[in-house]
Amino acid sequence: MDTILQVFQQEWALRALIASTMVGLTCGVLGCFIVLRNMALIGDALSHAILPGVVFAFMIVGYSVVGFFTGSVIAGLLAAVIITWIQQRVKTKNDAAIGIVFTAMFSIGVMGISWISRNEGVHLDLKDFLFGNVLGVANQDLILSGLVTVFVLYSIVLLYRPLFVTTFQPIIAQTMGFKVERMHYFLMLLLSFAVVAALQTVGVILVVAMLITPAATALLLAERLPWVLGIAGLIGLLSAVLGLYLAIEFETTPGPAMAVVATLFYLMAVFFSPKKGLLGQTIRKRRLQQRIQAEDFLKQSLKLEQREQLNKSNLQENLGFSRRVFGRIQSLLRRKGLLDNDGYHLTTEGRKEANRLVRAHRLWETYLVDQMGLSAENIHEEAERYEHLLTEDLLDEVEAELGYPTIDPHGSPIPRKAVRPERSLLSLAKNDHGRIALKQIDEHITAQLWQLGVLPDTEFVMRQLDSDFVEIEQEDRHIRISKSLAGKVSVASREQEATT
Amino acid sequence: MTQPENIIVKGLSVSYDRKRVLTNIFLDLPPGQLYGVIGPNGAGKSTLFKAMLGLIDVNAGSTSFQGKKIEDCRKEVVYVPQRDNVDWTFPATVRDIVAMGRYPHKGLLQRMNQEDEAETARAMKLVGISHLQERQIGALSGGQQQRVFLARALAQGADTFFLDEPFVGVDITTEERIIQILKTLRSEGKTILVVHHDLNSVEEYFDQVILLNQRLIAYGPTPEVFTEENISTAYSSQLNILHKTGMIEK
Repeated sequence: MDTILQVFQQEWALRALIASTMVGLTCGVLGCFIVLRNMALIGDALSHAILPGVVFAFMIVGYSVVGFFTGSVIAGLLAAVIITWIQQRVKTKNDAAIGIVFTAMFSIGVMGISWISRNEGVHLDLKDFLFGNVLGVANQDLILSGLVTVFVLYSIVLLYRPLFVTTFQPIIAQTMGFKVERMHYFLMLLLSFAVVAALQTVGVILVVAMLITPAATALLLAERLPWVLGIAGLIGLLSAVLGLYLAIEFETTPGPAMAVVATLFYLMAVFFSPKKGLLGQTIRKRRLQQRIQAEDFLKQSLKLEQREQLNKSNLQENLGFSRRVFGRIQSLLRRKGLLDNDGYHLTTEGRKEANRLVRAHRLWETYLVDQMGLSAENIHEEAERYEHLLTEDLLDEVEAELGYPTIDPHGSPIPRKAVRPERSLLSLAKNDHGRIALKQIDEHITAQLWQLGVLPDTEFVMRQLDSDFVEIEQEDRHIRISKSLAGKVSVASREQEATT
Repeated sequence: MTQPENIIVKGLSVSYDRKRVLTNIFLDLPPGQLYGVIGPNGAGKSTLFKAMLGLIDVNAGSTSFQGKKIEDCRKEVVYVPQRDNVDWTFPATVRDIVAMGRYPHKGLLQRMNQEDEAETARAMKLVGISHLQERQIGALSGGQQQRVFLARALAQGADTFFLDEPFVGVDITTEERIIQILKTLRSEGKTILVVHHDLNSVEEYFDQVILLNQRLIAYGPTPEVFTEENISTAYSSQLNILHKTGMIEK
């Protein structure tokens, strides 16, 4: 088997290579706009519709590359105008209008070819037109393809902003003063150019593959238009070059080989694209499902523990997992250090996590009732789903919005967020002096201190440390603070005290 | 008492497929006000916007902005359409969309400069979406999507804003944020028109009301126009249903 380099040392092959590169690149980039504008069918239509243009050009000026080019572009634009006119003025469905116009024009072209063959004694090969003849590319064709490539790519760079807006939201483009209709026809002009250039390489039937497939592939891989354009161009180019090489190597027709390579790229993206690929989706879905199961496990365990009914069979029954799933989740949680070795009691970490979930669930229920006005009866399932998806930041926001509620709509207590102050009231010894920090870990604490009459940023003395409360003296008043609250009260650090 | 800086609509009539949607609308709207465009479904509220903005053919009538035709002041007038009919899978990030607001200020050969980027950043910050700027627009909630469109409008730095149902499908926080921004814009002297359908919040939100049901029912300061009588004229047949569902009180 020859290497790629050896194959492309022959002049005809090199010419074919250059033509394919240019066509792959141009069609790939331009195709993005065609796909994003839902105009795939128009691309197909234009490529077929240029046949009569070629035929009439031949009748008028004979065999001439420039003649073919001019005739094709005129025919392509004519098709675009007629299609748009029908869509706007006649009540025929859009895709039907496209179908009618391009088949009609294509048929006229085919009849023209037969007429020429019979009357002028010249044989025009319809097959070349249908599937391309990249191996027979002449220098003149190359120059033309080169001009087309430069013109199309330069136009896209220059008109990037208008193309972007008119494609994304035509109505907004209009209010911004962009000429939406003019952009549409200019794109049709570029499309006609690209189609004519691609004719030699892949032929009418497969032009659409070069336009659509690389663009659709790139859209699966990137999330910003400049990247999509770049990747589509690259995939178009690679498909054309690899297809050409394979065709020469295995002596088959280049056009179809290019289309097949492009399709392979597409399939690879369908399965393996990091964000939108089927494989990634399946893995993510599986992971999410597993996380939800693990979190349900933690919550159930906590619930049963609180009811003093925690044992393995109760847990398994309440969760309704199969034995296999139960075992898998058990070992997963144990590996993470959330579950004791007995397989159903929570560790301290596990309890913290379970409390976080209960908090998420009850806060969300409260939010649905208080803010969204749903009734308390039918919110449980919704919250059951969302407790797994709410981020900590969002929950804090929800909590603040709700004014730090303590019970949910069903009357169950909402656990506090498990945050500990850096230096709590409990860290002080008897007769130590200190100041209550201005900023507490949550506004709840601030409110409770305010209720007790404890002043922030004011000196106090620790008077008593009992088993369930502490007593401080502040401005000649003795105030008792429960131990659970005292553990959450932040005391200003010594450095802060020094500055005040 | 017509002032040259007003938005003036003269005898606007629109029909789709021979069916009259708007008949003979006359408006004279002073700047620096927050207008609510109110009316039942099919009253032609969105159509009024599109006709005023020159986006659809009209049978008769004209609109002028500070004495100019819409074609001559595109930069100064910005439109925030409804969120549907948008391809949210489009490969664009939040910042890409907001930066669009700067496009009308750019010639074909001009590149986006620091000022454009600063305006884009400022607009995103104002509506509270700076942290989402690298996100693809499909990965946003309804409220966030609406904020993106509002940010784009702000980045354009227009004098007149048209917002079509900006509160549909958005969360309460977003609704409050949007109305707060609109009120700030109004106090900066901008003119804002909002198609709105929640009758409960009309009095709280709008300085002036344009009541519409295919024809102009009434327009002017909210306390004068948003009366039981005018509302019942505008909503006629729908009023009973509204009473029953409790959307408005007797």
